Amino acid sequence: MAVENGAPIIKVNNLHHNYLRGTPLEVVALKGVDMEIFPGEAVGIIGRAGAGKSTVVQHFNGLIRPREPGKVIVDGLDLSDPTVNIKELRQRVGLVFQYPEDQLFERLLGDDIAFGPRKMGVPFAELRPRVQWAMEMVGLDFETFKDRYTFSLSGGEKRKAAIAGVLALKPKVLILDESTSGVDPRSRKDLLGRIRCLHEEHGMTVIFVSPNMEDMAGLVNKIFVMADGRTVMSGSTREIFAQREQLLEYGLGVPQVTEVMHELKARGYSANLSVLSVEEAEAELWKILSS
Amino acid sequence: MSADPLIRVENVSFSYNAEGGNPIHALNNVTLQIQKGEYLVIVGHNGSGKSTLAKHLNALLTPTAGDVWVNGWNTKDKDHTLDVRKTVGMVFQIPDNQIVATIVEEDVAFGPENLGVPREILEQRVTDALAIVGLEDCRKRAPHMLSAGQKQRVAIAGIIAMEPACIVLDESTAFLDPVGRDGVLQAVRKLHQKGTTVVAITHFMHEAVEGERVAVMDHGQIVMQGTPREVFSHVAELQELQLDVPQVTALSNAMHRRLPDFPWDLITVDEVVSTVQRLDRRGSAPRWP
Repeated sequence: MAVENGAPIIKVNNLHHNYLRGTPLEVVALKGVDMEIFPGEAVGIIGRAGAGKSTVVQHFNGLIRPREPGKVIVDGLDLSDPTVNIKELRQRVGLVFQYPEDQLFERLLGDDIAFGPRKMGVPFAELRPRVQWAMEMVGLDFETFKDRYTFSLSGGEKRKAAIAGVLALKPKVLILDESTSGVDPRSRKDLLGRIRCLHEEHGMTVIFVSPNMEDMAGLVNKIFVMADGRTVMSGSTREIFAQREQLLEYGLGVPQVTEVMHELKARGYSANLSVLSVEEAEAELWKILSS
Repeated sequence: MSADPLIRVENVSFSYNAEGGNPIHALNNVTLQIQKGEYLVIVGHNGSGKSTLAKHLNALLTPTAGDVWVNGWNTKDKDHTLDVRKTVGMVFQIPDNQIVATIVEEDVAFGPENLGVPREILEQRVTDALAIVGLEDCRKRAPHMLSAGQKQRVAIAGIIAMEPACIVLDESTAFLDPVGRDGVLQAVRKLHQKGTTVVAITHFMHEAVEGERVAVMDHGQIVMQGTPREVFSHVAELQELQLDVPQVTALSNAMHRRLPDFPWDLITVDEVVSTVQRLDRRGSAPRWP
């Protein structure tokens, strides 16, 4: 199927999934998920623990196959088709897990990052520039780090290395499933900046799963809200965070500065609920106090 | 404060040899006292030594120099290692490394059972611990089928069930969603109210607001200490250490620069909102040129 211009790169329709199907321990994880993600978008998926976020994104690179009547179409590939080329799919869609540093296994960092593209059959001559590009995208200097032992890296460096390993496949879609959690603020901010750059300057489609609403607000343009295995809200980041009451119902919050605006509104101020950053909040408060 | 702290960390240094390199000094002459019933938050970057310090609190590590005293026992004294570990329970960063059983209730029961808690009491302890972390419904589930956040709460329940005098949480909220995190923080608050000493290690500065005292670590030393408000008021230093400042504190700082009457050290949403109301009510006459 040819992908038309402006068609979604990922389309999820009525997706259901049960873990341990047919056993007494069966757990219903997805009960009807619909999503459309377009090329070049930066999309966030938020939801409580157990809402099904990870289960959904694991469909995107074929780790879990959609079951009837659910459909997942990724970059023109219908994933319910058992003959679909999974290798091709995994090259196009890079998935970074929680604690991706656990995925490092080679002795030398450069080898680890080269592993993916090598297995994808990238010619030897192209490997080096690829690895170099991937390392630079995450802020690891090629010459300094390529021959470092993977176990000697710090937590933040390992995290970056693992992400570089996925980037080396030059995916069209990069999925980060809580991959920015558990590193210190310095590394987290640095990583977020680099992800933003991949999205803004390299046009990569980014799917970001994170419990941190402030990070979410700073990175994505569109948000899907999941609750109890379903997509329950979707819209622009500003639209979603303007609906605090509903988010609270789903066990979610809004960025702290957005919270300030909601509280002001509750106390009778005509506060702008679409505030997402400290700077925007500052301007709004100033407007209120100087009027 | 009582003159008899639960934990005394006295001039502790800890070094280890890196692979083929120079020794790494993870802790550098740290002195710290933790009072009974206190809620202490330790913040700092990876590599700042905060986890290393935490591991000294229940004798997982012993100092290269200096001493750690827990309830009067020196952690170097191997005869009392068990006593120390019964006193100080630890919840680690990654729950998977701490979960041993295949059923949630068995996992929670594992610790107290091995401490010889009789069966009748054990049941109640498991029930109470699961209630505190809000996982009553998951009692019969398999831990590996739970989400990361739920698993972390199982790990915490496993420690709570041992009823230690002090619980050390080593970045145990890193993976929780906002409500899950609130759930754990509430559980920790409940424990603290019941008299348990809490030491929480985190990079989330907004969690530091929970504590009664905050210690900031950098390069193996405690570089700042005080109430959350005292610590957060050092916005410039915190930013220099590249630690997160809560958004509302950053906002109150920015507003203070525009408007000197706006306090610069607010730490909660409610404080900011109340301040806006207070400043806005100062009459309707033009207040600023």
